[in-house]
Amino acid sequence: MVHQYKNNGYNIVLDVNSGSIHVVDECVYDIVPVLEPILKAGLTGETAIEAACMACEKLPYSSSDMREAIEELMELHEAGKLYSPDIYEDYVIDFKKRETVVKALCLHIAHDCNLACKYCFASEGEYHGDRALMSLEVGKKALDFLVANSGNRVNLEVDFFGGEPTLNFDVVKGIVEYGRSLEAPNNKKFRFTLTTNGVLLNDDILEFANKEMSNIVLSIDGRKEINDKMRPMRGGQGTYDVIVPKFMKVAESRDQMNYYVRGTFTRNNLDFSEDVKHLADLGFKQISVEPVVAEPTDDYALQEEDLPVLFEEYDKLALDLLDRAKRGEPVNFFHFMIDLTGGPCVAKRLSGCGSGTEYLAVTPWGDLYPCHQFVGNEDFLMGNVYDGVSRSDIRDEFKGCNVYAKEKCRKCFARFYCSGGCAANSYNFHGNINDAYDLGCELMKKRVECAIMMKVALDEQNEQ
Amino acid sequence: MKHIKTISTRDLKESMKKGGCGECQTSCQSACKTSCTVGNQTCEKVK
Ligand code: SF4
Ligand code: SF4
Ligand code: SF4
Repeated sequence: MVHQYKNNGYNIVLDVNSGSIHVVDECVYDIVPVLEPILKAGLTGETAIEAACMACEKLPYSSSDMREAIEELMELHEAGKLYSPDIYEDYVIDFKKRETVVKALCLHIAHDCNLACKYCFASEGEYHGDRALMSLEVGKKALDFLVANSGNRVNLEVDFFGGEPTLNFDVVKGIVEYGRSLEAPNNKKFRFTLTTNGVLLNDDILEFANKEMSNIVLSIDGRKEINDKMRPMRGGQGTYDVIVPKFMKVAESRDQMNYYVRGTFTRNNLDFSEDVKHLADLGFKQISVEPVVAEPTDDYALQEEDLPVLFEEYDKLALDLLDRAKRGEPVNFFHFMIDLTGGPCVAKRLSGCGSGTEYLAVTPWGDLYPCHQFVGNEDFLMGNVYDGVSRSDIRDEFKGCNVYAKEKCRKCFARFYCSGGCAANSYNFHGNINDAYDLGCELMKKRVECAIMMKVALDEQNEQ
Repeated sequence: MKHIKTISTRDLKESMKKGGCGECQTSCQSACKTSCTVGNQTCEKVK
């Protein structure tokens, strides 16, 4: 499978199954789709070249150029860098069948929140249930459960999530302390992350977070009017003025690393590239701004008719970020980051997010769910931290989730970068976890195109 | 090559040989989490 597109003056040919990326001239660009069926039909060498030349007759290039182009393409094909077949299905299905361990927990420290964000999937922190705070006892049990179910794996991730975890920060501290005491005797290492809206951030919390949290996620949507519209306090006042100085302090105190500001864009700010730029102009270096997931009936939900505008926004953003990189002031925008030379292996790329198997969410009272997005939906209640996973059928269903289990993903060029999307989105839109949220897919594909274009542009810049 | 420039990338087919150890982090894509495209995740083996 080949995906080819033009962006920012580059003609890009992505050989999906090998991951190879080629930047080509117009002539090659037009020949790529013509040559494929010829090689697929088994023609080789001079016979193939002649057939291709015939098929290209009508193209507006000189015959010597076309011949050269065809030869170069055939060379790539022979090197396994073009028209590569998808040979991964059995391998990935086997990989998914392996005994998995639990590697990561999302602890819902507080089902309560001091904000009233309009798009909150957790219904202002309460997750369609009652307000509740996690007790230290439940938190400790959760870590015991994680250690006991993590097999030989050394690094374990624990995310302090909400609602708003700073509403119950003494328990966070207690859980961290307990976690550290488990490390040496069990040969484990915890990586803690804190996600916060920032309102209650103070020096005490920051000092603790900088000592103990490997990452800290700071929620802000961008420009003041945008942020304050969607992220008000319970009394309706905006939060921008309260959180921005605090977030800047966090970023600086962590040397602009191992944190990020993250926001959500909705129909109210389709021009979200302005929000990313705004955050970058404030001095933040690690930024993530992402499409909202909402019920189609919500007035702020993204609609299919918004796609052209959103595509344009991603293009604009890519150019702006390239510009910043050229000026020596690079900013990381999370959704454009692709590691082409390192990056994960094929098994990882095609096997999905790990929800329900390697990653579980824990409610304040210790119930286990496949991930934070499923919390509160009783159909997905998998067990609790005291007795472990009792609904192995749910786990097995999530275990079967991978790119090849999804019709749409099998045919999608972005599958090696997307991993098959979000099971929760799929469930919300289609009632099962093996579908895909189409609008989200269109945006994902666009982001992958932009991200690859940026790599190409930066590569060119480095050469100069 | 005259008409084509190839960007260096990790060969996905090759990655089957040493891959699949399952040591890397889980990768959430939800808008409310520390999400990113999987293509950006760190492989614990090539680190
Ligand atoms: S650590 Fe690397 S090789 Fe192992 S599963 Fe993850 S991406 Fe693949
Ligand atoms: S973009 Fe959509 S169709 Fe493509 S791999 Fe991701 S979830 Fe599947
Ligand atoms: S199902 Fe979606 S929200 Fe849940 S962990 Fe996976 S990507 Fe994240």
